[in-house]
Amino acid sequence: MAILLQLLLSGVALGMIYAVIAFGYQSTFATSGTLNFGQGEALMLGAMVGLSMAGNVAGGPYINYWAMIPIVLIFGALQGAVVERIGVRPAIKTKSEFGWIMSTIALGIIFRNVAENVWGRDDMPFPSPLPTDPLHIFGASVLPMELLVVVGAIVMMVGVEIFNRRSIYGKAVVATSTDRDAAGLMGINTGLVITFSYALSSATAAFAGVLIAPITLTGASMGAVLGLKAFAVAIIGGLNSGLGVIVGGILLGVAETTTGFYISTGYKDVPGLILLLLVLSVKPAGLFGKSVIKKV
Amino acid sequence: MLEVKNLTAAYGQVSVLHGVSLKVEKGQLVTLIGSNGAGKTTTMRAISGMISPTGGEILLEGKSIGGLASHQISKLGVAHSPEGRRVFPTQSVKDNLLLGAFSRLTFGRERGDVEGDLDRALDLFPRLRERKDQLAGTLSGGEQQMLAMARALMLKPEVLLLDEPSMGLAPILVEEVFHIIKRLKQEGVTMLLVEQFAAAALGVADYGYVMENGRIAVEGPAAQLQNDPKVKEAYLGGGH
Ligand SMILES: Nc1ncnc2c1ncn2[C@@H]1O[C@H](COP(=O)(O)OP(=O)(O)OP(=O)(O)O)[C@@H](O)[C@H]1O
Ligand SMILES: [Mg+2]
Repeated sequence: MAILLQLLLSGVALGMIYAVIAFGYQSTFATSGTLNFGQGEALMLGAMVGLSMAGNVAGGPYINYWAMIPIVLIFGALQGAVVERIGVRPAIKTKSEFGWIMSTIALGIIFRNVAENVWGRDDMPFPSPLPTDPLHIFGASVLPMELLVVVGAIVMMVGVEIFNRRSIYGKAVVATSTDRDAAGLMGINTGLVITFSYALSSATAAFAGVLIAPITLTGASMGAVLGLKAFAVAIIGGLNSGLGVIVGGILLGVAETTTGFYISTGYKDVPGLILLLLVLSVKPAGLFGKSVIKKV
Repeated sequence: MLEVKNLTAAYGQVSVLHGVSLKVEKGQLVTLIGSNGAGKTTTMRAISGMISPTGGEILLEGKSIGGLASHQISKLGVAHSPEGRRVFPTQSVKDNLLLGAFSRLTFGRERGDVEGDLDRALDLFPRLRERKDQLAGTLSGGEQQMLAMARALMLKPEVLLLDEPSMGLAPILVEEVFHIIKRLKQEGVTMLLVEQFAAAALGVADYGYVMENGRIAVEGPAAQLQNDPKVKEAYLGGGH
């Protein structure tokens, strides 16, 4: 029982990371109908930049973990804006239907190569800002860092939701997502909103990177698999459902930890993919996805 | 106030407007009528920047705005209540209205009294006041139309473009909409109105243009067009 609880808790922590990255996929998809397939690399860059500041790889640590987070968020936002400007905007302008797929993948590969050259190919440990002794909850042992992952992910998603509902800028983002032409008539610079959504999506990925790095290892290749799995979560949960990615993320996270323990770690990636195939065949819009109905 | 000179526009390779010229003076209500597919909506879209004109000039208070992006034109004071309402269905009535004032709330345009104007808009459309917190997508068609008008007013525009505000409304609501248009005119709002109900539109307008196949076919003071035998025969039959 204690073991199952432990697997569930670890699965939830992992799932929340997937959810945060998937949330980033959703944010660009909502405003522009495009996705940043370099999300995994945005996560990796966030973790690497964070490690360079708060770790000892570049002669540091220069600042502590908590002070590093806002800088990583800003870095992520800038990186996302760059991806949008050079990779996505030209494709949207020329109405090239698939150009953005190739260009975001290409930029992701470039980022990974740059990271390999700057930081090397080896994985590095990321110093944990919290005690590394596990806490005991009903017999299950949980890393404090895992709790931080869950709390951080929730704070971030709730924060964005409040921004969207309360501030006029957030309302403009929502308006752009539902009807770009009508949003333009309101005086909203919808091109800038799309750039913003890319900045937001990379910033959330970078945030996920520094949240998960102390639990896993940090390295140039850490993002690829996470980015892909989070993409599966976005599809499973639905590309337009905030609740969907949380449920989808937790489903996948728990499926992985339990399979890893009860069957074999060699098969831990399989249940997620089976889940993905199942959802795609039964409910292509995702578990919580809705095909938007517009009143004419 | 607003002057369109020799405007041409196209969708892809298909040219739709072949040299449209019209003028709306400050405080005037000008109507643009004509049969389906004549190019009325396209003219409005070109003015508000939803599409880029292929030629001609669009002047707002003497300043050229042709080819600017729609968000820039909106900041200069052109509000457009588009064909098909286009309210934001997942947001509340109040949020839709605040979005209408986006430029005013974000330093793009003089702020003025946004809260007061919100209140006045809800006075003008009491049905909306009752449904202030309801999602716009759950409003009836007629209520959505009123919301689209109210939202456009929230810009405190120099010129208000209304594209078929009566579309799909029950007769009693059509009357209400025209009543509101009259009231706006009394308050001095400059308007360009596209309408199916040509007789009613000419009834409230100062000046009218009749469009055919992407061109202005006839123009004149509204009272004069109302009695023009050609206009009467083509557009004012059917007893609206
Ligand atoms: N988005 C579009 N793509 C291609 N062609 C279009 C588009 N919108 C309008 N058209 C065409 O342009 C012409 C003018 O259309 P427009 O909508 O301006 O007419 P309208 O006068 O507003 O008609 P209605 O009274 O039916 O609203 C029509 O032939 C129409 O088929
Ligand atoms: Mg029309």
